[in-house]
Amino acid sequence: MLYNVHFGIYVDVAMPVEDKSKSLLPFLSSPKLLPNESGSEFQSGLQSLLSELDNPSPLAVALVSQLNESLWWIKRHTVDKELLLYEAMARLLSKAGNHWDTYDNRKVSEALERYLDGSADKDESEWIDGILAESKLTLSDLRVRAFKDAAKHIKMVDDLIHRQHQTMRHLQRSIDSIDYKSRLIKRMDLELAALESKQSVKGVLSLDDEPS
Amino acid sequence: MTMNHRRSLANRCNALQSTGPRSVAGKWASSQNSRKHGLNSAPDFESCLEYKALIDLIAEEGFSTFACADIAAGLLNYRRVMDAYYDTYTSREPVDEFLRDVNVRASVPIFRELLNPSGSEPQDVREMAALFASMQRQERRKGGPVSRRSADTHKLIRYQRNGIARLSRAVRQG
Repeated sequence: MLYNVHFGIYVDVAMPVEDKSKSLLPFLSSPKLLPNESGSEFQSGLQSLLSELDNPSPLAVALVSQLNESLWWIKRHTVDKELLLYEAMARLLSKAGNHWDTYDNRKVSEALERYLDGSADKDESEWIDGILAESKLTLSDLRVRAFKDAAKHIKMVDDLIHRQHQTMRHLQRSIDSIDYKSRLIKRMDLELAALESKQSVKGVLSLDDEPS
Repeated sequence: MTMNHRRSLANRCNALQSTGPRSVAGKWASSQNSRKHGLNSAPDFESCLEYKALIDLIAEEGFSTFACADIAAGLLNYRRVMDAYYDTYTSREPVDEFLRDVNVRASVPIFRELLNPSGSEPQDVREMAALFASMQRQERRKGGPVSRRSADTHKLIRYQRNGIARLSRAVRQG
């Protein structure tokens, strides 16, 4: 029987566990990515996490995929922190010298981003240098002021990153618990088998000991 | 002042005088305006196919029937939260660049003209300019696209916390 497990993957419930976890992979490999993000990078992260699993049961695979997603969110939010600084720097530059109305904020923001990346052309670089000179600021001064200005939002992003860390901790504990459970079951099976074999040996011995 | 600028200001002045939707459909549509992510509504996992499939898969790992149901619901609930998180992150409120960048003081003559072409009351014009200035302050306070995105996703932290705690508890107690 085939089931559609959440994100468009069909899993045969009569499959062995290892095969099921493998069949879950395609659904986990189609995450919601942003247009500028690399799917192969996401996949390689997931594969490296999965390779560390001793017993890749479907539940463990599902939890590991959530863990990988949390790591991905941390990356996104870390980029956001830098973007927030750029945004605040652009805002400060636009406002510098009461030029709020004359400078287009978005234009400044885009030019500044390219300037900081080192991909700005000569005109843009000169333009940004001109605004910095006009507002009597160096780039590091601007960055410090921008950090102060965007502190509230940077704190929010820090909270988001912290939340992802907490989520990962929860997921890690859940995966450990599944792993421990499966080991416990295996150990109990072995002990039971050992007891049974002991019992059968005893039974044979007692039969042999019976007087004729 | 460009024609577009005048038209935008005129549209906004008119919109401020609106008394809201009148038709039933309009009222229903506007009643959904404040719906953000739908995470406060109770989900019905039991009727969905994924829930049953997950239960079957988890049951083979040695969990009890109740534990399987808990884990499957926890996993689907967590996915629901993370999907809403992604949607909030990607569909943020757009920046109203016109309102953010408009020079309110320079727009006063246009307000005067729009409010009463034959000779406006100075009080009305002042009130309109004050209203626009206040809206502009609010808009500027929200910051740029990244600030908005961070602020919006920050509101979902508690749902994420509850979702992962529920899932983790279900797995560990199972």
